[in-house]
Amino acid sequence: MTFTVKDALIKRSPLRVLEKSISGGLGMGNLGVLASRKGVGKTACLVHIAADKLLQGKPVIHVSYASRVDHIMTWYEDIFRELAKAPKMSAALDEFDELIRNRVIMNFRREGARTEQVLRSLEAMIVHAGFRAEAVIVDGLDFALAGPGELRLFKDFAGRLGLEVWFSASLKGEEPLFDERGVPRELEPCLPAIDVLISLQHHGDHVHFNLVQDHGRLAPRDLRLRLDPTTLLIEEARGPARQTL
Amino acid sequence: MNGDIASMRNIGISAHIDSGKTTLTERILFYCKKIHKVHEVKGRDGVGATMDSMDLERERGISIASATTNVAWAGRSINIIDTPGHVDFTIEVERSLRVLDSAVLVLCSVGGVQSQTITVDRQLRRYNVPFIAFVNKLDRVGANPFKVRDQLEAKLGHRAVLMQLPIGLEGSFEGLVDLVRMTALYFDGADGETVRVGPVPGGLAAEAARKREELLDAASLHSDELTEALLEGRATEALVQDAVRRGVLARKLVPVFLGSAYRNKGIQPLLDAVVDYLPHPGEVENRAADLDAGGVERVLAPDPAAKAVALAFKLEDGPYGQLTYIRVYQGGLRKGDELVNTRSGQRIKVGRLVRMHADTMVEIGEARCGEIVALFGVDCASGDTFCGPGLNLAMTSIHVPEPVVSLAIAPVDKAAADRLAKALGRFTKEDPTFRTHVDPESNQTIIQGMGELHLDVYVERMKREYRAEVATGMPQVAYREAIGRQADFDYTHRKQTGGAGQYARVIGRLEPFSKGAFEFASEVRGGRIPRDFIPSCEKGFRAALKKGALIGFPVTGVRVVLVDGNFHPVDSSDLAFQTAAQAAFKQAYMGAKPRLLEPVMKVSVEGPAEFAGSVFATISQRRGTIVSSVEDGTVSRVDAEVPLAEMFGYATVLRSLTQGKAEFTMEFLKYGRVPAPQAEVLMERRLERSRSVTPR
Ligand SMILES: Nc1nc2c(ncn2[C@@H]2O[C@H](COP(=O)(O)OP(=O)(O)O)[C@@H](O)[C@H]2O)c(=O)[nH]1
Ligand SMILES: [Mg+2]
Repeated sequence: MTFTVKDALIKRSPLRVLEKSISGGLGMGNLGVLASRKGVGKTACLVHIAADKLLQGKPVIHVSYASRVDHIMTWYEDIFRELAKAPKMSAALDEFDELIRNRVIMNFRREGARTEQVLRSLEAMIVHAGFRAEAVIVDGLDFALAGPGELRLFKDFAGRLGLEVWFSASLKGEEPLFDERGVPRELEPCLPAIDVLISLQHHGDHVHFNLVQDHGRLAPRDLRLRLDPTTLLIEEARGPARQTL
Repeated sequence: MNGDIASMRNIGISAHIDSGKTTLTERILFYCKKIHKVHEVKGRDGVGATMDSMDLERERGISIASATTNVAWAGRSINIIDTPGHVDFTIEVERSLRVLDSAVLVLCSVGGVQSQTITVDRQLRRYNVPFIAFVNKLDRVGANPFKVRDQLEAKLGHRAVLMQLPIGLEGSFEGLVDLVRMTALYFDGADGETVRVGPVPGGLAAEAARKREELLDAASLHSDELTEALLEGRATEALVQDAVRRGVLARKLVPVFLGSAYRNKGIQPLLDAVVDYLPHPGEVENRAADLDAGGVERVLAPDPAAKAVALAFKLEDGPYGQLTYIRVYQGGLRKGDELVNTRSGQRIKVGRLVRMHADTMVEIGEARCGEIVALFGVDCASGDTFCGPGLNLAMTSIHVPEPVVSLAIAPVDKAAADRLAKALGRFTKEDPTFRTHVDPESNQTIIQGMGELHLDVYVERMKREYRAEVATGMPQVAYREAIGRQADFDYTHRKQTGGAGQYARVIGRLEPFSKGAFEFASEVRGGRIPRDFIPSCEKGFRAALKKGALIGFPVTGVRVVLVDGNFHPVDSSDLAFQTAAQAAFKQAYMGAKPRLLEPVMKVSVEGPAEFAGSVFATISQRRGTIVSSVEDGTVSRVDAEVPLAEMFGYATVLRSLTQGKAEFTMEFLKYGRVPAPQAEVLMERRLERSRSVTPR
């Protein structure tokens, strides 16, 4: 793969649209949250975000609370395979091995995994083992259990080590899920620690992205992005902007 | 015991090291009356477990080579192969799995699913081997069979179901509740030889009823008959067993049995389970390639009247002479029968035929399909197929990995040299992953294998079994060289020394080739190189590949395209073209961006979570890539890819770092590119070596 093709892939990525909408990106030391009910596509989005970092040569740690890690690896393989379908990108899969060397999966069993422990292991990986991660993906943290306290620990950690951290938050509560500002009601207590909050919602057979909070500003708006149900990639939405809520 | 195929079982016992596989096998032999006294592994009586028949194993307390043994239980004939647990010896495990019809997966009730368990599980899956699980060491502090069952599901993705409940655990482990019959089992007598059946203890009744429900739920998925019977409240023992059996045979259900081999508890019910739930040879489909029909696969008939097909899966030099272990898949063998080795074409006559116990044997007149027996006085390699006259089949070849480590050895004296030759001859025949050759440059004997420990064991066996004392060098990684881009060559070989001259010219290109080690293509037109000399060119290129110009290791992944050339009607010869090709390769090689490749191992480290950070550091210090780290409460497992060159001595480092609480396994994964700084060091070293041997 030539650099120009890779560069083009990075430049054309719908994630650039996302970055533009959130004042140039999440940024070091900040926490971003993708919130939705189960099964809407948060993991796919997180893996796409991670893949985009990997393409840029930025090391990523993928934290999960699942029972098996092979599924996660498959997610990455699938996403790179989809990305490789872009014009002139067929050689990208050859580089998959190379890109993936910049990704570490750290899995914690839900029962025993307190955030202190998770952060201790992350620090060991980044500091002791010298894996200089720039972004951390945290899939499956139980926000109700973690609460604002543990989120603050993540925030301090991200600030100290200069990391950008993206979370998924699974919403389990009763309808209405969102308050009048578009904030998921379960996440209200955590809001002060969250820098960027995006909610995902089904709309027809696509999933749409609503920006709820952008670096402290509550400004609900359609991000003009959606998740393609077949490729599970984030893509730019066509057509007129939707009315939010 | 009758010769009926339905009464046979060929089982392997697979486990993570130290789970108690050897101890369990020992107990099985004892209860089946094959031995008269129970020995402990590393026993104080100095005898050692019967299955570890090699002295060396006795000393180290680990099983290395698999010994096969035959026992009788409940009128059935069971062949057991004690498969070695150490990952350095997986070729043995894989070979056994090819030959066996089913397995017992032994797990430690404290350690649960460990790194080696995962490897073994993958192998069982690859060969589609049905199995049951035995959770051992229920007497140990921290024993938790329920957790182990959960791990079989969570970590290995099996549908696992408890067939028994423990009565007491750890120090107070007393017996088992049989959830099919709803009875309690106790193991009386000095060696637990008497199974006493009693009522389920009152305190366990509710729990037992609940677990039985789970068992019935899981089993009924595999039998409509049982489902119906359950609805009508008339489920019988036979219906439940039949349903579980179907689940096992389909590899959709793993029944979990419990016990303590060491405390003599739970072994007899496990033997019953082998009989009740594991398949007989007639229930397992085996295939062979038909060499007379372009390798088309044929399903073998487990029919004693059909023509014979047998696989030699292990050779052994025992106290009784050379033994060839074979598994009969079709037909039968009788003393005096004539067979063909379909690989070599050689005909053999069946001589002495024996059934093996660990250290003794019983002579038999015939072996029928399904049986595992040994032949005397047959010359063959492991993996060879023997067929009755008129058949030309090859059992699917057993996947043999390339060796990744080599070691220079030198006999200490003349007597040792003679014995060494004998030992090497034997080992290479027994173990396809063990190779040997003499390096033409240094004139040293080189042995190659799958890891440091693998070679260590053979060096020790040379001493002990063959009294061949050898001095050893440093273990060496089996590097490879490869090219990074296309390069052209145009080389003329010309020599005029008195009599006939030599002349050959070859023109063409080298290309990187990803589909194999080497490919040769000729695009020469118009007889610019006479047709007879094209193979000479290929031969020359092949010879050149043996030693790359970077550090003298074999070159792989090259396609050579011969485009043009020239010849002389008198001076051109086979030799001239070979020489020209060899020189042409050298000429083009450095222009083809040659690079070094090294074996990269898949390494898996398991231990207390508190050491995870230190383990991460050891991996990154070794140029490794951490693929994943899994923390489950207090236990952590790190999976990584690490160059083999960095892994020498890792066992010692890990031991001292974690006070012996962490362990690791590794296996060959792939060849990866050596980074520039390391490559420079290797080339520098090569240069020094060549300087030091230059004649003065
Ligand atoms: N407490 C306890 N120890 C056992 C049991 N079975 C085996 N062991 C011990 O565990 C160690 C390893 O056993 P071994 O049979 O060599 O395991 P292998 O490596 O799987 O063959 C030995 O010290 C055995 O005495 C058991 O049921 N309970
Ligand atoms: Mg053993």
